[in-house]
Parts: sequence; structure tokens; C-alpha cells
Amino acid sequence: MEQTVCHKEDLQPGEMMESTLGKHSIVVCRASDGHYYAFLNRCIHQGAPLSKGKLCGAPAPTEHVGEYAFEKDGDILRCPWHSREFDIKNEGRMLVNEKFKIKNFNVTVENDEVIVYNG
Amino acid sequence: MIDTDIHERVMYEELLPYLEQPWRRYIEDCHWIQEKHMPYTQPAVAGVDRADAKVPDGRPAGTDLAFMQEQLLDQNGHEKGILTGALDPSPSSMHGWYEMATALATAYNDWQIDKWLDHDDRLYGSIHIAAQDPQGAVKEIERLGSHPKMVQVLLPIDDILWGDAYYHPIFEAAEKHDLAIGMHHNEPPLYYGKWPKYFIEWHTLIPLSHMNVITNMIFNGVFEKFPKLKLIMIEGGFTYVPFLMKKMDQQYKDLRHEVPWVKRMPSDIIREHMCFTTQPLEEMKKKELMQIIDQIGSDEVISFSTDYPHWDYDSPAEALPPNLDDDLKKKLFSENARNFYPKFRK
Repeated sequence: MEQTVCHKEDLQPGEMMESTLGKHSIVVCRASDGHYYAFLNRCIHQGAPLSKGKLCGAPAPTEHVGEYAFEKDGDILRCPWHSREFDIKNEGRMLVNEKFKIKNFNVTVENDEVIVYNG
Repeated sequence: MIDTDIHERVMYEELLPYLEQPWRRYIEDCHWIQEKHMPYTQPAVAGVDRADAKVPDGRPAGTDLAFMQEQLLDQNGHEKGILTGALDPSPSSMHGWYEMATALATAYNDWQIDKWLDHDDRLYGSIHIAAQDPQGAVKEIERLGSHPKMVQVLLPIDDILWGDAYYHPIFEAAEKHDLAIGMHHNEPPLYYGKWPKYFIEWHTLIPLSHMNVITNMIFNGVFEKFPKLKLIMIEGGFTYVPFLMKKMDQQYKDLRHEVPWVKRMPSDIIREHMCFTTQPLEEMKKKELMQIIDQIGSDEVISFSTDYPHWDYDSPAEALPPNLDDDLKKKLFSENARNFYPKFRK
């Protein structure tokens, strides 16, 4: 199944939108480098709608107490409820434990349209 | 479902019409504002709120009944919900000028009835008091105690040990009016009277502040003096309860001579008088949940809560482990709360 979800200019880098793919609610994100990513719009923790969260950055893991290094600005999808962080450029894997991920879909841009594929 | 922790929210300006003079002028003309606040704003995407709970017109989460009905009560099929919101901080936690805190508590209660309880049959309320002045607090409980939708007196868990005899008139009035005591942490300093450096430390150890108050209430003989009194501990979860029961029972066997007014095992007092709301639930398997219930020795002292509209909201459909027995689900989601609250029992 495939679905055209928006024109490529409808989303700027660092922005996301809710859409549908068949019966699924999905969230389409545009990363800081301009690439598009799509995920099931449902947090794996308690089912919150991820599109109501925030596409932002995250403090990177650091070596020393009190040391902060902000990174990946526009590439981290943060849940609107419990604030869990998922890396959209790493298949939607959770920052604290990469074993867990939100379901991701393939995305292409054809004729300036953003198309999401299931399967 | 009976949801035992829902936070409605008031803005100070909404309280003004409910505030008697001279109190109103201290806010309108003199810009009085309570200065005590939790020193963390950073926890989640929208501070301490669910990011999707902001009212569509831009007002803060929890300020609009219609939106709460749509997003919480209707969507989850709530049978009842108990409002536990309060000012920031609770009047009983305010620094200084407790006469102002008493006036604000009264205004808050009238606003709560007028704007919420009168408009949705499902919603029940909490009587707010300024417990720094127990006589004033008792007056407020007497004023509203017979209101059919007021089911508890709310006390904050802060740096105050409520078991002290100074506060007993409050428990006496609550018991007399079939009101439970609801306790919800309200900015408790946790580390030896101080705030920890990080929110994650504070939020991890909230159950510690709940354990402080339970221990204090039991060994100060509150439940021997007020045998019908009920206490619900809100938003501390329940996974600490097995430890606390075992520890208090062991201490009681050794040290009963110091508190001879306590006549029952602390674990029995907990089972007979207390209830614990579920949220914020740790992720656990059914087996783990059943072990905790087994250690508590009762499946009737835990009651589901969402904490809507806060960031650490628990979804009724998703937060507990799957495949629980129907009988247990009924107890957790409604029967335990119905049997706990004296006014619901009637």
C-alpha cells in the first residue's frame, strides 16, 4: 500500500504532521537534513499520539556530570505524554534503549510529492 | 471506571469573583502572589502537562471542562472522576499569611462547585483547606462537608507531619462528614528538607514522601483515635506498600512500647483505612503485579488513576499489564474506589 501524504514543501526541516496510511494514523517528520520519515502515530509505551509531541533535539550522552551537549536538533521525536525520545533517523529507535522502536514506514519523494509505503 | 486523580486547574483571575474582600484587593490592588513554587519546569514536552491536553484555544491544560470531557471522561467512559487539582501550591502548603490561604481555599471550593461539579454528574470534588489554621479548616469542612459531591478533604504532602495532634480536629471533622482524607504530594522537599538537583531524583523518590506521612499518621495514633477515618494516598503509586508494611510491622513488634496507643499491626491499619492510586505506574508484567498484591495481602486497596492532564498520565487501556482477570480489573478500575469513599458506600 502507498499513500501520498503531502507536497514536499508542506513540511519544513524540523516539522512533522499527522496523516493516515490505510487505517493507520501515522506521523510524517522532516529531519534537519531535509529527508522525510514516517512512523505509526502511536507511542510504544502507552499509545500516545506522537504527532502531538515535539520534533526537537536531545542532550547527547556525555562523559562528565554537569556536561551537556545538545545534538540532533530536529531529529528526535518526543512523546507528548511521558516524553520518551525516538531518533527518526535511526528507524525510530528509543534513545535510552535501541532495542525498542516505533514502527517506521518507507518514504520517497516523487514529483515533489511525499509518498509513504506500507510493506 | 472511577478515576481517583484528575487535575482541574484555576487561573488566579478566575478565583477573584469568588474571593471576599479584603482578600480580593490584596491580589487586584497590591499584586499579592504566592511565591512558593516547584523549581522545575523542564520535565516533559509541555512542562508538567500532557502536550496534547492544552485547550485548543490556547489556555493551559486542565482549565476547560468541555475539553476535559471530550479528551478524558467521554473517551475513556468514566463513570466517576475525582478532582484533585489545587492552587500552586495547595493553600495548606503556602508560606506565611495563612488567613489569605484560608480565603483562597474557600474561593477555590466555591469555584470548583460552580464551574465543575455542578456541570458534570460524573465529577466529584475535594475540599481544600488551609490546614495551618486547623480551626479555620474545620469551619470550611463544616461549611461544605454535607455537599453530596465533595468526597474528601485534600491535604498536601509537603514538609508537614499531619499525624500531630495539632491537626486532629481536621480528621475529626472529616470523619464526622463521611469525607476521606486525600493526600497528594505538593512539592515535598525530599532530601533532608531540600530539593534535589534534578527533577528525575525528585520524581523517583515521591513515594518516600508518601511513606513519611503514612508512618507518621499510623504511629501518632490517628487511626486509633478516628476509627472510621479513610486515607487515600494519591499519585505515589503502590509498589512501595509491601516494603512499608513489612518494615512497620517488624518495628512495631520491637518498639510498640514507645507508641502504646497503637493497638493493631500497622499492615492491618493500612489495609483497613487506606487506599493507593495506581499512577504513575512502573511498567510491569502481570506476574509482578500479582506478587505485589499478594504481599500487600489484599487486592482491595489499589485504585486506578490517570493524573490527567499531567505529563505522566496513565492510560486506562494501556498502563496496567494485559490479561488481568476480569474480577481484579473491576476492583482496580471501580469497585475499590466505590468501597473506599464513605460517600460512595452510602
